[in-house]
Amino acid sequence: MSCHSPNKKSRKIIKSKDTINIALAGNPNVGKSVIFNQLTGLSQTIGNWPGKTVERMEGHLEFLGYHFNIVDLPGIYSLSTYSLEEIVSREYVVSDDVDIIINVIDATNLERNLFFTFQLLELKVPMILAINQMDLLRKRNFDLDFKELEKVFKLPVLPLVAVHGTGVHQLLEEAIELVVYRHPHHHYRRKKSKDSSHHGHHYYRVEHIIERSDFKENISEKFKFPELNEVTAFGKEVESKILGLIEVIDSFRRNISSCNYPSRFLAIKLLETDSEVIKIFKDNKEGNGIIETSNKYREELEKLHGEDIDTIISSEIYNNIKKIVDLSLITKIKKNVKKWTLTNSFDHLTTHSILGYIVLIVVLFGIYFFTFTLGGFIAGLLDEAFTVWSDSIYASVSEDNVWVKIFWDGGIGGLIGALGGVLVYVVPFFFVIEILQDSGYLPRAAFLMDRLMHSLGVHGKTIIPMILGFGCNVPACAGCRIMETEREKKISVALTSLIPCAATMTVVLGLVGRYLGFHWVIILFLINFSVIFLVGRLLNKTLPGQCTELIMEMHEYRVPNYKVIFKQTWVRTKEFIFKAMPIIVVLGIALEILLVFNALEPINTILSPVTVLWLGLPTVTGVFLIYGILRKELTLVLLSILANSLNLNLLELLTPIQMIVFSMVTMLYIPCFATIILIAKQTSWKYALQISLLEIGLALLIGGIINFGFIIFTSF
Amino acid sequence: MSVDLITNKKNQNAKGTSLIKCLTDCEKGEEVVVLRVNAGRNAKTRLANLGVVPGVKIKKTKKAPFNGPVEIIVKGSSLVIGRGLASKVIVKCNEVCEN
Repeated sequence: MSCHSPNKKSRKIIKSKDTINIALAGNPNVGKSVIFNQLTGLSQTIGNWPGKTVERMEGHLEFLGYHFNIVDLPGIYSLSTYSLEEIVSREYVVSDDVDIIINVIDATNLERNLFFTFQLLELKVPMILAINQMDLLRKRNFDLDFKELEKVFKLPVLPLVAVHGTGVHQLLEEAIELVVYRHPHHHYRRKKSKDSSHHGHHYYRVEHIIERSDFKENISEKFKFPELNEVTAFGKEVESKILGLIEVIDSFRRNISSCNYPSRFLAIKLLETDSEVIKIFKDNKEGNGIIETSNKYREELEKLHGEDIDTIISSEIYNNIKKIVDLSLITKIKKNVKKWTLTNSFDHLTTHSILGYIVLIVVLFGIYFFTFTLGGFIAGLLDEAFTVWSDSIYASVSEDNVWVKIFWDGGIGGLIGALGGVLVYVVPFFFVIEILQDSGYLPRAAFLMDRLMHSLGVHGKTIIPMILGFGCNVPACAGCRIMETEREKKISVALTSLIPCAATMTVVLGLVGRYLGFHWVIILFLINFSVIFLVGRLLNKTLPGQCTELIMEMHEYRVPNYKVIFKQTWVRTKEFIFKAMPIIVVLGIALEILLVFNALEPINTILSPVTVLWLGLPTVTGVFLIYGILRKELTLVLLSILANSLNLNLLELLTPIQMIVFSMVTMLYIPCFATIILIAKQTSWKYALQISLLEIGLALLIGGIINFGFIIFTSF
Repeated sequence: MSVDLITNKKNQNAKGTSLIKCLTDCEKGEEVVVLRVNAGRNAKTRLANLGVVPGVKIKKTKKAPFNGPVEIIVKGSSLVIGRGLASKVIVKCNEVCEN
């Protein structure tokens, strides 16, 4: 069923433009982004939730005279305090910024999806249940009784096939109806529909909108959330404790008037020792009393059931879910149910003990080559363009013009460097990782690599950013956003930044590889990987929290939705351009200024205790290492330029041991500046600083050990 | 709960009614019932949220090589669990398993 275009007549009658704020909530991989993309298109922006490192995707559209603001919440399974995503989502949903939740549910995973639905119901915010992937469900010879579902939930329940666009705009119409009527509509009464995707909706749309032309009240004050106790009530013992807590919480309400959470939600969370909810009650004598009561109840329940409270409550919820599914899931007569499908065989291939790893290697090399051939090609074009342009600018201006040097070489040069050096790799990378994520390959890769990654202190998913790190650390660190917890993000980001990227490789190969032999390259690599291993163990021990076990959903393979991928890639690229690049440009200008005003000498002298005394390097390398923070290959580039200007061979400029130390330090000492920015974005500036200092420390330590080791060794 | 469930001992009844073991010891394709999860609170809660609670039927579908993770089907969806955690999931299988 295609979406009917809005009736032009009704638009003219509506006077006021009202705004409806929608939050899209649901498990990961249910099709939320497809829906979000269809509704918001290019108006999407990615930002962060204020003060947090969780992504926030927003967009808007105009429809039937209303302005819709839509926030796509992260895909989550529950509303506990396990992850920042859950905390942020639940606070947002009950705030005044949300009028309606659209809970997107995957029809093929109904029971597990409904678990999250039940969490959302406790928040008592107006909600529409959008059941997606109905086409897949029907292919498996099942169907859903929507009439029954609406009867049970007393909220609108709509079928969708988001990838086809079916049912998407009906969601908005339904949202408008909730605003107008402030109570849910029963859709499935009038028509005896054989096909439940026609729910007789449109014939009353126009009339109702004409009626509401001067409606202005705030929806959340008017909408009466249905009484759902039959659906959500737990077993006797648990329920009686909850009701007891609700009583005391209600009488305590006046003390927490700013709290938007319903009492039942608070009661359940108190029983579960939810840390955020406990904070609400803690600093008050009466509140502490309530906490004590909840503790007592919890102990009683745990003793009674022989299980911990989270298991008890989850079991109760799943019991309730089972009743609903038994009522509403329709099994059709099995026609030709294919046991062996294409996705199944793909799945077995990619997780096979032998073939799976071969596929993984092929995929990783494929990503690497795609990213770096495409990126390299464009980088080459940019380079050429810049050179040609440079020549023409310098042709018309004197060589000594300081300002040109600063802004052209430093500013624009820095910009082209950032574009050529980083962005051209970042864009194909974002593209590829969206494909991997959308198609479903990532979980399979994590499945194969989990064991190995555990020895590094992370789990399976980290393999992807780390392999990408061999090309460029910048997009690799950005890719660490797929980690679920803060802790994992921190460790992955640190380890990825230690992977020698292409720029670092240029230095190692061009110096040690060329003049000392390839075996030295291998040795340096081994040292580098040992450092990664040790840093992984170190962070594992020192960062708070436990090493989390892999718990990951493996959804079926599917053809990636190209619209979603292009839009996501574009939105992320846009974000990168506006955040990371200006800083790179500014830094380029700053360094160019230093060069022009010959401010480098003093810097070299300041650094000489480290460079000369400790590392045994020539004084002049001090500044080169500073430049290396901007772009790692600059260390070698500048060294070569110096050698050229002195008419010396690099071997004459540096002794072999100095070459080794120089390369080692370049490999380890600090992530390039763009990487630091990305680490800060993923975690925090404080952590980025800590990692940078850690790496500088490690680089200096190992460099010094090599240097002094050599001195001691040769004095025998 | 009895001691047997806390340790990993296989409990074999001579009449062959049920066998209790941990998830990692199960065969591929085996359908079992969860008895308890002996893990830390966070992991336990996460698994519970995803449907892995005592009494639920699960089916082990894959096992990664080199002592890697395990894949199960629970409540109709597919879940991958790291090996350490999987070894703490105690299950009961319905048939008589001869080892």
